[in-house]
Amino acid sequence: MLTQQMLQQKNLLLSWAAIQFSLLLLLQQAFAGWVIAIFALLLLYRLLSVFRAKAAISLKLVNVLAGIIAITFFLQLQQAGVLHFMLQILLLAATARLLALQHLYEARQLVWVHYFLIACCFILHQDMLIAVFILLVFAVNLYSHYRLFSPSVSQVNWSQTGRSLLIILPLWLAMFLLFPRLPPFWQIPNANIASTGLSDTLDPGSIEQLVQDDSLAFRVEFDGALPPRQQLYWRARLYEDFDGRRWQVNALRQNASRQRAADTATDSSLSYRIIAEASQQTGLFALATPVSSSSNVFISPSGLLSSNKPVSQRLSYQVSSSLAPVTLVAEQEQLLNLRTAPGNPQTQQFAYQLKQQYPQSHDLVQALAEHFRQQPFYYSLTPPPLGSNSIDAFLFDSRTGFCSHYASASAVILRHAGIAARVVGGYQGGNWHPQQGYLAVRQREAHAWVEYLHNGVWQPFDPTAAVAPERILDSLDSALPEAQRALLDPGWRQLAILQNVRQQLMHLDYYWSVWVLGFDDTSQRQLWRNLYRHLPAIAYSVAALFSIIIVLLLYYRLTQSGTDNTPQATKQLYRYMGKALATKPPSLPVSAFLLQCAKRYPAHDVCLKQLTALYEQALYKEDAEALNQLKQLLKCHKAELGRLRRAIKNA
Amino acid sequence: MLTQLHNVEQSLNQVILGKSSQIRLALCCLLAEGHLLLEDLPGMGKTTLAHALANSLGLSYRRVQFTSDLLPGDLVGMNIYDARSQQFRFQAGPVFSQVLLADEINRASPKTQSALLEAMEEKQVSVDGETRALPTPFFVIATQNPLFHAGTSALPESQLDRFMFRLSLGFPDHQAEHQLLQRDSSTSRLELLTEQLNTGQLRVLQQQVPKVAASDALIDYLLALVNSSRHRSDMLPLSPRASKAILRAAKAFALINQRDYVTAADVQQVFPYVAEHRLAPSSDAQESRLSQLLLLQTPCPI
Repeated sequence: MLTQQMLQQKNLLLSWAAIQFSLLLLLQQAFAGWVIAIFALLLLYRLLSVFRAKAAISLKLVNVLAGIIAITFFLQLQQAGVLHFMLQILLLAATARLLALQHLYEARQLVWVHYFLIACCFILHQDMLIAVFILLVFAVNLYSHYRLFSPSVSQVNWSQTGRSLLIILPLWLAMFLLFPRLPPFWQIPNANIASTGLSDTLDPGSIEQLVQDDSLAFRVEFDGALPPRQQLYWRARLYEDFDGRRWQVNALRQNASRQRAADTATDSSLSYRIIAEASQQTGLFALATPVSSSSNVFISPSGLLSSNKPVSQRLSYQVSSSLAPVTLVAEQEQLLNLRTAPGNPQTQQFAYQLKQQYPQSHDLVQALAEHFRQQPFYYSLTPPPLGSNSIDAFLFDSRTGFCSHYASASAVILRHAGIAARVVGGYQGGNWHPQQGYLAVRQREAHAWVEYLHNGVWQPFDPTAAVAPERILDSLDSALPEAQRALLDPGWRQLAILQNVRQQLMHLDYYWSVWVLGFDDTSQRQLWRNLYRHLPAIAYSVAALFSIIIVLLLYYRLTQSGTDNTPQATKQLYRYMGKALATKPPSLPVSAFLLQCAKRYPAHDVCLKQLTALYEQALYKEDAEALNQLKQLLKCHKAELGRLRRAIKNA
Repeated sequence: MLTQLHNVEQSLNQVILGKSSQIRLALCCLLAEGHLLLEDLPGMGKTTLAHALANSLGLSYRRVQFTSDLLPGDLVGMNIYDARSQQFRFQAGPVFSQVLLADEINRASPKTQSALLEAMEEKQVSVDGETRALPTPFFVIATQNPLFHAGTSALPESQLDRFMFRLSLGFPDHQAEHQLLQRDSSTSRLELLTEQLNTGQLRVLQQQVPKVAASDALIDYLLALVNSSRHRSDMLPLSPRASKAILRAAKAFALINQRDYVTAADVQQVFPYVAEHRLAPSSDAQESRLSQLLLLQTPCPI
């Protein structure tokens, strides 16, 4: 049997096994480790049986196995969530089907389930490279689909495959552009992936660790020109609780009300769009005082941005910022930031001295900056360990530290001097790509600085700028001594070619996130509005295009009918039996084929013989009367011919 | 008259056993006014077929055994001085008959071969400046040993072209040969053959052949078939003469099958026998590889 022959084909089974294996990899979030192992083993067994040309596993065994696995899936439904459960069941069904594949229709089902599963991968992944991989898997599935249906077992017609892809392309684009962006029907479970970026606790060493990470934190497109680097302080966290050693985000802030701030300030001198990478945290980034944002993010009164759920996929939002510092929200906030921790006696002493010398808070901060600048303070990625009175040890002993040390020490001094101060965590600067027009901010740009209360506004103060101005004006690399730069870049990253490839991939990824992922309902509405505005022009051009196509088609038809000398009788026959005649060997005459069919399907014998006789008369004798009779016969036996057509097709 | 033709066919089938398709093709060649080349090993029944054909059609029959020393004059005849009337009198050669069996034509010298082939084409012979018409119908059945036999000179391509059909009888199957051995003698059977169709009737049938309908679509298919042999390096191209012969043969074939129109199947039936020796003169008549290839490669949309 033909079907058996096809199923025996190694490369079909191979490609299906490969597809399921990649699906397993892509959907691994949905599966427990042991399930992945079992699935992989089953697929491996299937592959082995292909190469050893063994028969498939017995159906009973497959059923029992699948039943057991399905029950365990069901027991873990609560844990996994409905979506994961559905993916699990579907992939289980596909794998079990592949193991016990016997009939052609089963193979067809399998191919369709693969399509569905491949589409499901996009729920969990939106990355560009993974999208390319998913497309590859899709192509393999399409190939197997063609293989399954192609009449000749020997080869797949690639030009035809290409043509069908070309035909589908406009439809695909139209679906992408015009299909409504529906909200998901199901809850997408949060992945158990560790969060990245700044944490809620600021240890003396936490930022040093963060800057060794070269991965992207977020990208920014500015509506206007790029602001000077000194203004690029991306605020992300406010650390207000100090226990003598580490800073923490205040509990009140953690559960801060998610109300959107009223658009009070009218001065919004900066407008920009941020595309944040997945961080599994709710905290987002903004410059100075954000005054308005797109609806998917919230602005807290203290000028911090957050989303309502952890950012598990790339998130894009529009912000307008005023460059004025953040204002004091409530009296309580001031009290919160005046609390001091016991310990660090030398620092307290130093703070009182400063306070006496400079009663004005502004002068005091200037003096502190001057102190950092004048005294031999060093900026280093590898500061020496500090003792229990860490601020004392840093200020008066080691004098070597990273931005968190300086920010922490400054905030403590200011608080002891009676000035409300807090440490701000975030990012400073970024990598500007002029050609692509975006600023890439990596984890490397993580930074900490200080805000102190002055005349009811939180004035920013960056002690690092006093110690290592290159860090602010240029980049971290230039601020560090030669020996420490190597710490930032492992050896392989220093290869120029790899660096370049990484850079290009990052740019591609940027376009992907802007044009594909960023195409949300807002952009879609914008598109509709634009379409509506240019409606007459579009209508005219579409009409013109259509008329050109119709004229071309007509011309083609006319020239064709000049050269197309298919006789009427044959045309009639093809009209009613085209699909059946498509299975005719090309060199076999039509009437001989009909007689063969008559022999093979005795139920249609009379009809077919009559048909053949009339056809021969009409075709070979060019008998007009016979042609008319043929037409009538075809019309009368339409239903019977339909049955015959199906019988031939299914054979 | 077609019934009589079928009677002829039946009686031939009784003489030459198990070769009905070759007999039908031989009759078809006769109706199409073409000449027949039988290529076979000795003793396969070539002569019997020729003789039986002549007998059952009531035609005059002569047989010439071609040898290397056979001269053209031996074939067409010559002027001989009659001492009594003191005049030259034309002594007609064996070519002046309705069915001529040219046995082992590839043994004769090229000169003799071409004399015969000229007679076949022109249906007349010229001796000493005097042109004499050959009788009608004039039907040559030439037999030929396969070329690897010693002492043969192959017919050139241009002359092979004169034969409309090339057939090979081949070995009979088991049943037929068994029956053959059981019978006393085939020659006696040959003599039993009576005239089923007279010359006038044959003439009428021959004149009906061109009147068989061949539709435009069919001719297009035939041309596609012929064209597929051109511009190829692995075979000789088919000439317009070949396409004419194919159509005529197909028409005769349709007539034998009691139809007044040619079908694509008719063309496909006769094609290997008409085309193969023109595509590859030295090929084996048994297998007709090239013409089958062409048939398979040319799509038949009708």
